[in-house]
Amino acid sequence: MSTSPGDRVRISRQGDIIEGILLPNPEDEAYLVVKLDNGYNIGIEAAKVEVKLLTKTPERPHPEEAARQTKGLPSIAILHTGGTIASQVDYETGGVTPRFTPQDILNKFPELRELANIDSWLISAMWSEDMRFEHYKIMAREVKRCVDKGYSGVVITHGTDTMAYSAAALSFILEDVPIPVILVGAQRSSDRGSTDAAMNLICAFEFITKTDFCGVAICMHQSMADDTCIILPPCKTRKMHSSRRDAFKPINQKPIARIHYGSRKIEFLSDYAKRGSARKLMLKDKFEEKVGLLKAHPNMSPQEFGFYKGYKALVIEAYALGHVPIDAPNDAALPNLENAKALAELIASGCAVVITSQCIYGRVHSHVYSKGIELKKMGAIYADDLLTETAFIKLAWLFGNYGREDAIKLITQNLRGEFNPRLLPEEF
Amino acid sequence: MDYEKLVFRSGIEIHQQVDGKKLFCSCPTINSQKEPDIRVERKLRTTASELGKIDAAAQYEAGKNLKFIYEANSEDCCLVEYDEEPPHAVNPNALRTALTVALLLNARIVDEIRFMRKIVIDGSNTSGFQRTALIATDGFIETSKGKVLIPTICLEEEAAQKVEAGKDFIRYRLDRLGIPLIEIGTDASIKDPEHAKEVAAYLGMVLRSVGVKRGLGTIRQDLNVSIKGHPRVEIKGFQELKSIPRTIENEVKRQVSEAGKATEPHVRKAEPDFTTSYLRPMPGADRMYPETDVLPIKPDASSITIPKLLTERAEEMKGLGISSELSLQLVKSNKLVFFESLSSEFKHLEPEIIAQTIIVTPKEVKKRFKSEEPSEDHIRLALKALDKGEISKDALVEVLAALASGKEADLKKYAKLSEKELDNQIKEIIKENKGLPLNALIGKAMERLRGRADGQLIVSIIKKLYK
Repeated sequence: MSTSPGDRVRISRQGDIIEGILLPNPEDEAYLVVKLDNGYNIGIEAAKVEVKLLTKTPERPHPEEAARQTKGLPSIAILHTGGTIASQVDYETGGVTPRFTPQDILNKFPELRELANIDSWLISAMWSEDMRFEHYKIMAREVKRCVDKGYSGVVITHGTDTMAYSAAALSFILEDVPIPVILVGAQRSSDRGSTDAAMNLICAFEFITKTDFCGVAICMHQSMADDTCIILPPCKTRKMHSSRRDAFKPINQKPIARIHYGSRKIEFLSDYAKRGSARKLMLKDKFEEKVGLLKAHPNMSPQEFGFYKGYKALVIEAYALGHVPIDAPNDAALPNLENAKALAELIASGCAVVITSQCIYGRVHSHVYSKGIELKKMGAIYADDLLTETAFIKLAWLFGNYGREDAIKLITQNLRGEFNPRLLPEEF
Repeated sequence: MDYEKLVFRSGIEIHQQVDGKKLFCSCPTINSQKEPDIRVERKLRTTASELGKIDAAAQYEAGKNLKFIYEANSEDCCLVEYDEEPPHAVNPNALRTALTVALLLNARIVDEIRFMRKIVIDGSNTSGFQRTALIATDGFIETSKGKVLIPTICLEEEAAQKVEAGKDFIRYRLDRLGIPLIEIGTDASIKDPEHAKEVAAYLGMVLRSVGVKRGLGTIRQDLNVSIKGHPRVEIKGFQELKSIPRTIENEVKRQVSEAGKATEPHVRKAEPDFTTSYLRPMPGADRMYPETDVLPIKPDASSITIPKLLTERAEEMKGLGISSELSLQLVKSNKLVFFESLSSEFKHLEPEIIAQTIIVTPKEVKKRFKSEEPSEDHIRLALKALDKGEISKDALVEVLAALASGKEADLKKYAKLSEKELDNQIKEIIKENKGLPLNALIGKAMERLRGRADGQLIVSIIKKLYK
């Protein structure tokens, strides 16, 4: 009888006997991976051994708990999209995959049921780096369904790689959304004791159930400690660290609110939109595919600008106040003149070129230095303190939902709090 | 007590720290004593293991709903210790040390090493698990009471050090977290309490032969003990080897007294008065799942040269004419490399003299002169002078004392007298002290000439000249 992962096996190797549970090892078939009775896994060179089946894998009970409803509690929908928050070890690939069922999450965080009646369903089980515009539409339509059904709020569990992009996209799509829509992620997977998922989810629930906030926001750790979470503005937030719990920071802005995990106290730190029956949700969920993003760097070539010919819009993440290499102050810089030509041609071809800053913090400014004046003269649009990522999403959304003329006019208008006219010292 | 009749069963687990860098990051293993510059509060949650069960020990800890406070100085902790960055690749030196130990214990290195996450939610690991891997199996050692098998040798990360426990919090220092740890487990074939001590001592000697971290707390012994009719009990926290036999004796008495009672296997703590106290339930085998952030390793032990055991080295030292006690002291100290370098540098010196100066003299200096112990540099300087014949053997202690007290030692002051000079000096002393009895005269001469000539020589000259 052949063996398969999960089976208990006896492996004979040059007179040695090893017993344990066979685990899959698809990356390297030359090695059998066995879980020994002491809990350790080891790899055994497959060529050297004989494998005998002892017992087939037993059926694993899958705990299912019927949805409980408690009178008087608000109702919250959790929409799952995947990511670390919903991930666990996958024995098929050996890696961590985003494949919890919604029920798994509720079983894992039973405290959530004390805060709200929860309905939970899966939109996708994916890493957020794989998300496309289409996924923003799916999420937005599900949110609309939740609004129509009368939920008090929506939590979207999301991978953190592109969570800030999704938050910006949802805030543009969901015009006048009357309930809170909070994106929650985790930097440590839910299958480990030190996961940040529980606290992020609980704080999001507290925020939804205890405040009158409405709109899209992100809820994540404020520091490396499990003490406070912050509610972050959807268009002015960026993932600033690849692995820390407090990776998400507001940029050119203060957080919307802070939630103290111990006391469950909530402090508002900025103005915010309040729930009200006057709000009528309007979905504007189209996106233009032909929008690009280019980062200024030394030694740029004209081909890089030329690539975007035919695109409706391009964000150039320029240096500092909004500078791009287009001048030749000496002979060695002469190739830059080709950049200037290529950029002028690109703009002339009808591509809206929007300038943001790779400094991340602060604004771009078109006339402190001559470079800015020159670029502006070419027709580049200076996007003030708009984050590069938000600029990209906004352009795709504007050109998807509006005609070219309106779209261009709206680029520099503050539609969802994506601009902050007053930058304060403590915001950097 | 008749341990055979009681069906005494006992095995040892040794945890030994390895010096250098931490197992999964580039932090040094220096146990920084500086004030903490970062402090973070955390909570931990229970997690299901890969087979879908939550371990009993894990559940017990979760029930306590504690807050964990982590403190560290950035000198020896980075984001990895804070569980804010994934582990780096395994430290190759630590792995090599562990594989060397495995070879010395006649063990079989596994074909492929796979790091696991062992669930630990007492807060001693910021991640909620300890990274550990089985690196070798089926080892054995020979003892005075037969073979003791070593079924498992693991390489793992050290846990954080508990500093304070309050009602609802535990405070940890993270300097220790992540230090490489070699875990050696024997089978249950230890025959009696004295045998347990012998096995622990032997394993400790093997580890020191490879060069591991030294000092308080760098090695820990856990003992499993059971008798017929009593489940296995693990005893942790032995302060020193010599407390092992008495503690086991007392534990066996305790187990005898529990005969007939329903008891669960559990973990106990070794107390300073040689008794044990209840610590927590025995953790089960379910508490591990794969550490997917660390790639499997195919170990290559072919380039490892197996070092000689310290006991073998001690025999070699005896062969050099060093007394057996001094030989043993030398190999047990961490001065063996220093000894070898001095021996090859100073060809005129007897190995015994060098060994004495390294092992015994510093303590004598400290005791006699109430000063610091001389450093290796001081010792080298003094032995160099002795090697060149610039000072006498008897001057060593005073020269080292002067060096250790920070004085710019003027070696000329201790310069050896030629026989002629010595003769003259002694004549002078005899002239000055006419009428003194012989012994008193010797005393006078020794006082003045100490360190500038060999004592025996002084005595023989006085005897010759004394009339």
